[in-house]
Order: sequence, then structure tokens, then C-alpha cells
Amino acid sequence: MASVHEIHLCGTDRAHAERAAHDAIADVKRIEAKYSRYRDDSITSAINRAAGYEAVAIDDETASLLRYADRCHALSNGSFDITSGVLRRVWDFKRQPPRVPSQDEIDALRPLIGWQHVEWSDDHVRLPERGMELDFGGIGKEYAADRAATICRERGIAHALVNLGGDVRAIGSRADGSPWRIGIRHPRNADATIATITLDDEAVATSGDYERYFELDGCRYCHLLDPRTGMPADHWQSASVVAPLAILAGSYATIAMLACDRAPAFLRAQRVRFLLVDKEGAQIASH
Amino acid sequence: MRCSRSIEALLTALAVIALAGCTLQPPKPWEKGDLARASMRFDADPLETKLTQHIYQSKEGAGGGGTVGGGGCGCN
Amino acid sequence: MAATSGATFAATRTESPKASSERSAALILAALALPGILPAAALAQSAPDERVIALRYYDYRDWQPGVDRMSVKSPSLYAFVPLSDSLTVEGSLVYDSVSGASPLYHDAVSGASGRGIGDYRSAADAKVTKYFGGSSLAVGAAYSHEQDYISRAASVEWRTWSDDRNRTYAIGFGAAKDRINAVEGVNAPVLDQPRETYDYLLGITQVLDAASVVESSVTWSDGRGYFSDPYKLHDARPNHRRIFAWLTHYNRYFAAPGATLQLGYRYLDDSFGDRSHMLEASWVQALPYGLTLTPTIRYLTQAAAHFYRDPPFPQGFVPGGLYTADERLSAFGAVTLGLRVAKELPHRLTIDVAFNAYRQRGDWRLGGDGSPGLAKLSARWIEFGLAKRF
Repeated sequence: MASVHEIHLCGTDRAHAERAAHDAIADVKRIEAKYSRYRDDSITSAINRAAGYEAVAIDDETASLLRYADRCHALSNGSFDITSGVLRRVWDFKRQPPRVPSQDEIDALRPLIGWQHVEWSDDHVRLPERGMELDFGGIGKEYAADRAATICRERGIAHALVNLGGDVRAIGSRADGSPWRIGIRHPRNADATIATITLDDEAVATSGDYERYFELDGCRYCHLLDPRTGMPADHWQSASVVAPLAILAGSYATIAMLACDRAPAFLRAQRVRFLLVDKEGAQIASH
Repeated sequence: MRCSRSIEALLTALAVIALAGCTLQPPKPWEKGDLARASMRFDADPLETKLTQHIYQSKEGAGGGGTVGGGGCGCN
Repeated sequence: MAATSGATFAATRTESPKASSERSAALILAALALPGILPAAALAQSAPDERVIALRYYDYRDWQPGVDRMSVKSPSLYAFVPLSDSLTVEGSLVYDSVSGASPLYHDAVSGASGRGIGDYRSAADAKVTKYFGGSSLAVGAAYSHEQDYISRAASVEWRTWSDDRNRTYAIGFGAAKDRINAVEGVNAPVLDQPRETYDYLLGITQVLDAASVVESSVTWSDGRGYFSDPYKLHDARPNHRRIFAWLTHYNRYFAAPGATLQLGYRYLDDSFGDRSHMLEASWVQALPYGLTLTPTIRYLTQAAAHFYRDPPFPQGFVPGGLYTADERLSAFGAVTLGLRVAKELPHRLTIDVAFNAYRQRGDWRLGGDGSPGLAKLSARWIEFGLAKRF
């Protein structure tokens, strides 16, 4: 989670706010440490090391996240899949010069992808194949933002904004009663915004093709990979979604990016506010 | 009769609630933010409720309702 | 393995809208089931985890045309303390100090110059609530002491709520043992007279939608013992009193103005005959800078007790029979207008100030004549409140 994290608290006294912020930040760090695939001591690493071997015991929190990931997988018809991280083995966005993996390379990874093959229950999870991997990266940060918001609220903070790397969760409105105003980044210009959305006790998340990508022969290849094709999403430049929770907003945005031309219909069916930017830079908004 | 009037009132009360029950759109947990507001609670300030009820009890024939075991006072 | 191209991806999405919406709902439910996502406040009825200390001061005064009657100054204290995740205790102390003349009740004074009002009243109560998974049990005790009147009461109340916490049922039972000792009563000394009252309550709270909630309860009260007023000449009331009350409250939040409408209705039937209807409405308007403004209006209309006789004495008086000339048991209508201003301060402090004006008049009674000959009773009370949460 090497991005900008900030918590704004207002309408309260300083010492009280600092205590709430301190508790919230401690919890964000706890979740980062627990689910990071870069840390050997995380539960994610423990599960991945045991892939092809034994089942790993998990706590309630992890089981809840797996259940959430399962429901995402079902809603997205398999495009949202926390086992798809292994595609990074052939899609290297840092490599110079960049290259697009061959179909054979992608096909070789297929047996390692597929949430439906994972054996999981309320207290154990087992990855059936050697080399399979779980990755909570697509939901962990948003989950942390929602928890941080709840921690602040339970400590009596009525107005706050939690921003974890662009996933923004609002607690209430601003102190004067007006809604929070959040700028949506221009997908092709990091210093510009294309729209402002208002938040009142809601969250907004944006998924875009500009976070990690390379360009080759005039085509952009981004980090959002469809587990069913092994290829990057290429229909939208970005998808911003407003939902009651950050974790929902984030999942809807990711699913929309991978849903090609069905994204507007999908988001309307979820009854959320959204702003999609297509390949040409044209905007499609919920209203 | 007093007794039958009481029963009639009780039945009316139940009918109102049952009717409300038919047309309910009970909110999901994440929709309950507004319901958690202090102004939406029936017991937001128990002290204020009790003291105000005491004033009315000292001015009006029979008072109270909604609570049990409050005890009496010499004011009636 | 699933689809291998975008084309088959599109083909797999030919499912029914119903299946799709069930998946949408399943995702939302899974999100809410994540630990720490819902604030405790959204999970109504779990043991509250914040402590509250509140101070409240009432300054009450009533009068009739040309005569100041009574004034009461009443400081009080309330505390709420969670002892554990599932156990809370709360209690309050109230002290009333009374000064001034007692109410005359009638223009035509008939020798009943009113009671010799005790110059203080102190009251204390405490309640312990234990929360179980889907229910709670509260046990309470109350004590109040006046010069001539002592009351001891106990109560037990059980609540249970539905899995989605949108409906709560309550069952309650209360008992009070009172004792009256009016040495200076005009009806000859009233010594050690008992009164026992049993209360029964059935209640339901229902969340109607995301912005409205209704609470309704019925209470029966069955009291036996001394009900007369020892300070009123010839006052003789039944020694058995049954009261039925149906109370309903409705709260609705309006997001656009940021306000809550609070409505209340009470139907009350008393075996004494003083049946009443009470309606009240408040508008709780949130304003910038943590301010809240709440205007309130309340109306009560009541019938006279069947043994109430209009002045002048001895009109309707039969020696040995039931008799009262107490204005509280007459037929009248009453209106209260109130305004409260509250402000949230730093350090989780809340202060509020309220002003209430009250007036009773015989001819304000609805659906029947009021008792004639009554002086217009007016009252006003001012409240100062301070609450700290931590």
C-alpha cells in the first residue's frame, strides 16, 4: 500500500481526534501486515506456501474476506478472482522493453487460476495446485478504509474522510452539513480532474488503466487482468463508483473495468452512482 | 364499559402495527445510518423524559404510560 | 476453466435478472458481515459502550390570573456506565425544592385552600441491563421521598429483537409500594396510609424504512389503597384505580432539511373516568455548527373523573360519597408550546436550553364541555441541560 493515505477529522477536539486517528491508522497497518503477499509472516503467504499441500487454518476475519471474494466472483461471472495474481508472472509491467506474453505462456498458467477450485470453509482454506496464489490486494485496502471509518465513528467522530490511496470513505458530511467534494482524476493527466462527485456517508473508488501499464505498438496494456482470458482490461480508461462502503465501491469499479460494454448496465443494476471513461476519453455517468 | 374500551384500543393498536407490517420496507443494516441519529431514538434523553413526565403528572388527571415501576408521588 | 475469450464471456451473461440481483444482494451481505464494518450504533440494542453523565436543571413556575402559585427548582443528575460488553448500569437523582403558595384550583374558593406542599422532593432510581445475544433484561428500582409521601418501586423489563434488528418486543412488570403520612391534612391526619400499584407493559418497536421508526406500547396499571388528597376538604376518591394507556411514537428523518419529525399520541383510560387523548409533535432541525433547534407542540384533552364536582361547594356533594374538586380531575384541554436549542461542543459535550409554556382551559376540551368555573392555569418551565459522553 505504497500510496497516499490520509484521514481528515473535523468538528471535534484535537486530542480526541488524534486518538481516533491513531486507532484507525493502527488498524490499517494491522490489515496491511496480515494480508500483504509481500510479507512472509502474513496469512496470505502462509496460504500460498501451502498451495498443493495442506489446508491452512484461518480466523473469522479471513473467512469473512474469502466469503466476500466468493460473492464477488459469483457476481462478476468469474472476472473478479483473487487467484488471478499469478498472471503477473507473465505480465511484467516493469520490464524494459515491455513485451506481451504469448498465448502459450498464458495457457500454461490456466491450471493455477480459478477461485471455483479453491477448497474453503469457515475455518480452513486450501489451494489445490502447487503454484496457486491468493491475493487480497483487490479488497484489502478498501476493507481497511471501511474499518478505519467505523473506528472513527465509534469514537464519536461525526465528520471524517478516510483516503487510502484514492479509495475514499466519508463519515457523515462536512462539519457545516454540506457533502464532501471529491475530484475524479483525469485518466491521462495525473494533475487534472475530470469531475467532482459529492459524498455523504458513502465511499468512492476508482479503478483505472493508468496505475500500472505499458504501451506497445500503440496499445496500452494495464495491470487489470481478466482471469478468463489472461488479457488486460482495455474497454475503459477508468471506472469510478460511489457505494455505501469502500469495499463495495472498489469491487464494483474493478468488475466494471473488466465488463467491457456491459459495465454501464452492470453498475445500473447495482444502483450505484458511477462515472466511466471510455477508450476515447468520453464520459458515461449514472445520471 | 371501560374494560371493553381498553380492549378496543388495544386491538386498534395491534391493527395499526399489523397494517404497517404489511407495507414495510425494512432497511438493510447499511441503510440504518439515519436511524442511529439521536433525534430518531425514543430513549435519547431519559432524564428529560422523566422530568417532563413528572410535570405533566402533577397537572393532569392520569399520566404516564410507556414505562413501568416508576413509583408514585404525592402530587396526585 | 471458464471462458477463453471475450465473446464467450458475453454469452455467459444471459442469466435472469433475478439471479443477478440475488448475487448483488449476496455481495452486499458478505460486505456487511466483515468484522468492524458496521458501527455499533447501527447494531441497535447491543450494549452501548459509551459512558454518559448528564446534568439537568428545571425551573418551573405556575400561576392563575393575578396570583403566582408555585415555583419549583429541580436539579438532577443522570449517569450511564457500561460495566462490560453485555452489562450496563444507569441511574438518576432528582431534587425538587418547592416554594410559594399551592394552587387554588378554583375561582370560587370553598375552604379547600390546597395542600400544604412539602417543600422538597428527592428521588433516586437505578437500572441494570444485561444484554444477551438477541435480548436484554433490565431490573430497576426507584425511591422517592417527600415530607408526607414515600414511594418505593421495582421493575423488570425484557426485550427481544428480530435477527435484522428491525423489530423489538418488550414486556415489563413494575410494582410500587407507597406510603402517605399527612399529619397536617385538612381531612384530619392521614397516617401511614398505603398504596400499592402494579404495572404491566407490552411494547413493540418497528423500523418502517431507512428513515422512519414507530414504537407502540400498552400499559395497564392497577392500584389499590389511599388515592384521596389529604389536603383538600371532603376529598374522597375510590381506593381502587385502574389505568390503561396506549402510547405510540413515530419518528421520521428528512434528509433534505436535515430534520426529524417526532410524533406522539397517547390514549389513556382511567377507572376514575378522566379519559384523555394526548398528541404531541416536535421538529428537530439540525443547523450548522452543531446546533439543533426543536420546536414542540402538545395538546391534551381530558374528561372529568366521575366523582368530580364543579364548584362552588357543596354543589353535588353527598356526605359519605365520593367527591373531589381537584382541578386535575376536571374536564379541560391543555396546550404546551416549547422550544429547545441544543449545541454540540468540543470534548463531546452537549448543552441545551429549553423553554416551555403550558396552559389549561376548560373550554379547550375537545368533544365535550369543559368543567366551568376554573381559573386558567398557566405554567412555564425552563430547562438547562449538559451532557458529556466519553
